[in-house]
Amino acid sequence: MLYNPADAKLDAEKLPEDFQMLGKGLQYFVASVQEVRALAKALASGDLNAALPSSGNELAAPLKSLHASLRHLTWQTYQVARGDYKQRVNFMGEFAVSFNMMVEQLQENRVALINEIEKSDRKALELEQSNSLFAAITAEISQWIIVIDRNTFEWLFSNHTPEIMLTREQFQSQLEKWLVHYVRRFNDEESAEQTGLPQPAARKESMSVEMELIHESEVQYFGVRIYPLQWQDRRALACVLSDISDEKKHMLELEDYAFRDPLTKKFSRHYGMKTLHEMLAAGKSFALCFVDLDNLKYVNDVFLHVEGDAYIMRIVKTLDEFAPDAVICRLGGDEFMLIAEGWSMEAAEARLEELRDALQQDHNTPEAKYSHSFSYGVVESGGTEDLPASELLTLADEKMYAYKRAHKVQRGAPPGAAPAAAEHSLGK
Amino acid sequence: MEFDNVFSIPKHSHFSWEQLGDIKEGRGDLGEEMPVLVYRLMQYTMLDVLGHVYGEDVANEHFRAAGHLAGTEFSKNVLDLEVDFDAFVANLQKSLMDLKIGILRMEAFDPETGNVVLTVGQDLDCSGLPITNENVCNYDEGFIAGILEAYTGKKYDVREVDCWANGDRVCRFNGRAIS
Repeated sequence: MLYNPADAKLDAEKLPEDFQMLGKGLQYFVASVQEVRALAKALASGDLNAALPSSGNELAAPLKSLHASLRHLTWQTYQVARGDYKQRVNFMGEFAVSFNMMVEQLQENRVALINEIEKSDRKALELEQSNSLFAAITAEISQWIIVIDRNTFEWLFSNHTPEIMLTREQFQSQLEKWLVHYVRRFNDEESAEQTGLPQPAARKESMSVEMELIHESEVQYFGVRIYPLQWQDRRALACVLSDISDEKKHMLELEDYAFRDPLTKKFSRHYGMKTLHEMLAAGKSFALCFVDLDNLKYVNDVFLHVEGDAYIMRIVKTLDEFAPDAVICRLGGDEFMLIAEGWSMEAAEARLEELRDALQQDHNTPEAKYSHSFSYGVVESGGTEDLPASELLTLADEKMYAYKRAHKVQRGAPPGAAPAAAEHSLGK
Repeated sequence: MEFDNVFSIPKHSHFSWEQLGDIKEGRGDLGEEMPVLVYRLMQYTMLDVLGHVYGEDVANEHFRAAGHLAGTEFSKNVLDLEVDFDAFVANLQKSLMDLKIGILRMEAFDPETGNVVLTVGQDLDCSGLPITNENVCNYDEGFIAGILEAYTGKKYDVREVDCWANGDRVCRFNGRAIS
């Protein structure tokens, strides 16, 4: 029965009568042991669905009890796997303690995980809302936001397209160059700041500049504010561009209105005097020229103001040739003032004389209706006498009159020219 | 008394949960619990009498029917029948343990058919009985069937396949749903 159970056979009938009960008891015992052995073998191999020992086999009772416990544990484990963490094992000693601890731990982990997921879901929702808000704002606002990588100059973000924001296609390459220039400048100034070298202004915060895109006669102005930022692990600059073309044009118009003469577009008397004061205050050396058109009253009277204005414009064209950086102002009527920084009195007089000659040569032809000419007086700043602006101007004016008296110009047509038209000779 | 009591008071031969009475108040000193011995004394003397009067099989049937009534009333008055199956089983296990009826353990449940295999350890009716090579938990069979029917709404036939009195250490029951 122990070592070769297959051959453990006994025919009780062949036993002597006195031993037959013993033999039958032995047969039952062997059968019980074999049932127990079969169940034990099945349990050892993990088979919980094997046939169970027959009822009444008391020898198998503890093993059947173990089988029942294992079946129950299997069911409980399945339940736990399905998420039923209420399962507890009772009355199984240390195993019950460990199993229950494991289930409690699983439950705690699950709760923690659910909390984490809920938190994460809430965050994701908030992020989604923030993103949609950001997207809505950036899409709606008129400002153009461009985020540029500070190392590669790559555009990382742009809320509008160049086609929408730029009034001319040609501005795009100018804009890209401009942005690269300012990213470099921002980087340079920041590195200067870090090395302690002097730098114009703290650039760690932000920078405000104006950008002017020009193509032929068209100009587009942008106010640009540049902010440094760290985005997606990249050092970047956020450039917020506002189209200020309308404001800028309006401002230029206002400036023009305030500082320019409407006819000649030369500076006004107000601007001229302001400049004169500033230059004197700064102790600058310059030549101050007082220029007076000859015969303007005659031209106006005889050929009317339209011709008078044309005459003025011809003189202005001549004065424009004095020097590119000279400040030319119309003081009023036929009077002009030139301020030429760095020019001596002699050099200015020579230049004006040259221009006067050229004017007369060009216009005082036999066909001319009247003589073209101007008179001038020049004074120089920075002399021994420290004169105020008004006196300096008066001095130049006096010198101009002296010149005019000395160089009397014929009013009408130059010598040899045809007489003025009769209808205009009556004067007004 | 020359007058009859006209109020209708159900007799104790007609079971209702309320008729169990206020045990705590009635047994202020002795309390709500008593030894298992007393329970078994009543159960097996009753089985003896009924068996002698009606025969063993009929007596067992009556015991099963009484258990079914107990299971039905127990479910209605103690258990929550609205929760899902897992919670229902957990509550049932706890209630049976709290009331010291036995240690219920599920072995298998087929959600398709509703068939169930479960064991009851340290059973109130039989654990520790001498082995007589018979299954004696007829009352439990009815009790379990009553509970399953109350929860699922299906009719159940529950049979004990292993029993302490048959040499086992736990009582195992097969419950078959009859639609």
